[in-house]
Amino acid sequence: MSECGWLSDRIPAVALGRAEWTQQEVQHLSECRACQQEWEVVRAASRLGESLVPAADPEATAASVLHRLRRNREAGRRRRGAWGFAGFAAAAAVVAALWTGGADRQLDRGPEGASVVAGQLAIPLPELEILQPAELDSVLQMLDEPSAAAASADEPDLRDLNSDELERVLDSWEG
Amino acid sequence: MPGPPKPDTTTDPALVAAYRSGDERAAAELVRRHAGPLGRFLYSLGAEREDLDDLIQETLFRAFRRVESWRGGASFRSWLLAIGSNLLRDQVRKRRGKLVSLEDREIADGADPHADLAAVETGDRVREGLARLPRLQREVFILRAQEGSDYGEIAAVLGTTPGAARVHYHHAVKRLKELVR
Ligand SMILES: [Zn+2]
Repeated sequence: MSECGWLSDRIPAVALGRAEWTQQEVQHLSECRACQQEWEVVRAASRLGESLVPAADPEATAASVLHRLRRNREAGRRRRGAWGFAGFAAAAAVVAALWTGGADRQLDRGPEGASVVAGQLAIPLPELEILQPAELDSVLQMLDEPSAAAASADEPDLRDLNSDELERVLDSWEG
Repeated sequence: MPGPPKPDTTTDPALVAAYRSGDERAAAELVRRHAGPLGRFLYSLGAEREDLDDLIQETLFRAFRRVESWRGGASFRSWLLAIGSNLLRDQVRKRRGKLVSLEDREIADGADPHADLAAVETGDRVREGLARLPRLQREVFILRAQEGSDYGEIAAVLGTTPGAARVHYHHAVKRLKELVR
């Protein structure tokens, strides 16, 4: 590695006060315009925004962030509670559907009995295994609130959203 | 008589583990450690002063909310900075079209951009220069200049390779040197 390359690798550490120049490096710096310019640029960048630090109050920031996190956790607990109920309702619906289907099959003795059951559930049960959590949530929501399913048809696919839009969706869920 | 409070020497991974076990003081200590550097990093990347507090808070909130996704491959600080940088990028993308670019503003002011450039301090010139660099060059350069991160760490955080990070750094230095010359 050239002496300039060697110095270039060392400049950030020295600019941050984590290392010191050797005599040989000092000598090179005093003679090499390219390295002087690099030193000037990196040192200036290492100090960018230093004057901002006293303006930011870490205590206030910490308090505010923790407050939001607490609210978020509480909202999450409420949501999970609601989903728990929805899950129970869905399980009950599945049991009821299977039971009804079984009764139908007994009456019809027809081979289409199983598909009648699947038709009532709109989605064959084994396919639930391959659904994403958000999709499972949608299925649960449809089972829990049939009228809400139509309203949610216009909602964007979560996989198409960028991080910011996802945050907004999450925030809207949190209330 | 009690002396000044001793600095907390607990490591970041230990504080993260404590927070995950429900200790909010651990999160507060992490905020104290990293909020300042996070603000400087975002400012260096081009964030407006008036947006900094909101950006810092939002970054920290998002980080702690999904703290289990920090696997320790990069330092907690670098991971946090990467979240902040993504957030800033989203904000810039959202505002694009509403804002006039730096160059346009200078022309609209009727000022000579070269004279303006010479008049400001090196730091300001570097910050302006950074705003004109491609994103990866800018982020690699700031992580190296402000955090002293090595290329392996930078690569892990920015999703690139150490070799590519090194190249981005040298491109950034070259272009900034031309500007400060
Ligand atoms: Zn040199």
